[in-house]
Amino acid sequence: MILNELLLPIFVVLITLILGAGVVDYLHHATSALGKQMSLRRSLNPLAPLYRLGLALSQQSVITEHPDRLNLRLAPALYFALAALGLAVVPWSADFIPADLVTGMVLWGAVEVLATVVIFLCGWSANAHLPLLGAYRYVSLGLSYMLVSMFVLIGVALPAESLQLSAVVESQREIWNVLRQPMGLPLFLIVGLGLTFWGPLDFASSPDLDRGISADQSGASRLVWQLARYAMLVAFSFMAATVFLGGWLGPWLPGPLWLVLKATLVLLILLWMGHNLPVMTPDKFISVAWVLLLPLSFVDLIWAGALALW
Amino acid sequence: MDLANLLLIPLIAAVLILALEKCLRRNHSSYPQARPYSGGGDLSSHAWCRFHVRYYPMALLLIAFEMEMMFMYPWAVVYVAEGIKALMEMGMFLTILALGIVYAWREGVFRWQ
Repeated sequence: MILNELLLPIFVVLITLILGAGVVDYLHHATSALGKQMSLRRSLNPLAPLYRLGLALSQQSVITEHPDRLNLRLAPALYFALAALGLAVVPWSADFIPADLVTGMVLWGAVEVLATVVIFLCGWSANAHLPLLGAYRYVSLGLSYMLVSMFVLIGVALPAESLQLSAVVESQREIWNVLRQPMGLPLFLIVGLGLTFWGPLDFASSPDLDRGISADQSGASRLVWQLARYAMLVAFSFMAATVFLGGWLGPWLPGPLWLVLKATLVLLILLWMGHNLPVMTPDKFISVAWVLLLPLSFVDLIWAGALALW
Repeated sequence: MDLANLLLIPLIAAVLILALEKCLRRNHSSYPQARPYSGGGDLSSHAWCRFHVRYYPMALLLIAFEMEMMFMYPWAVVYVAEGIKALMEMGMFLTILALGIVYAWREGVFRWQ
């Protein structure tokens, strides 16, 4: 009993995040090579993530002169822990749910909010200007996408009449939320890019800040930070697949396999968006988020509400 | 078991990363290397100084909305049971908040000052 209900869920969540981070690394570089005229053979090599891992391990871990040592170590650990917490509430099948909380949706909301704090801490702890600027920029992003995410998720909770993720999956037996609430998934994907400061929303570690919060990271500390960031993208993909693509529901194949396939699809869409959407500036994104995305999420909620009462 | 998992999973995840970083760290950097990178610029001040956060009016506006989320979670659960009444109530509430956004937009809250 202990084995099935305690050890297995912990093992599944952590292995998914770590292997998933490797998959993110592989797909990110492979899809990046597809668009540009780069050496495809080298980029599509399945061992490429291991080469990059080895490169990171052979580097020195230089840390800045007077850092906030506690937070320097804690920031990647807490970011990864938040990803694990988010993935823990995702149901893999009708009876395998690592943590089947009645308030699973609220917990995911808390993960998103706390991620802002943790990413700020990462930039703060180096005690250097570029990382700190990246951190302040990230907070502006975090405060802007948070509400969009909440409204979209509330819209998903309406037909389920519950904040429990297993109930949200059950409510999609007839029709998936991605069809029932067509604006939900696109808005939620933008939130995902924000949560992992990916692609067009990479304000925290953008090239114009010389990689911002990562400017003074190297070796092992950069490796664990990137691991945590990739893991967060994995956790987000599983969450998006669960609330919009019917989670583990599907014919023929077993539930967990469906969940993994759908999460991989979400991941590929996110990576495609990361490579192809134009980069925004942080000050412009605040306007776009509050004046365009937030009203759109209102419309999504009204749509969801009207349809739930139909 | 759900609560035990909820406590153990993030705890083990955090410890795993802390241990990983500690084991993999090769820390033989020299003193000049520890100087913050700063794009080659000259450091004239400490990084942890007073900083003008240009978007603070937006941060204040967010607090109003975050309070509103507190009402929305229980509302979402009873929504279908309460029916059209719940729709109207939240509709009015959101309209008032949306007017707040329009006002804030006009006042230039979403521009970095």
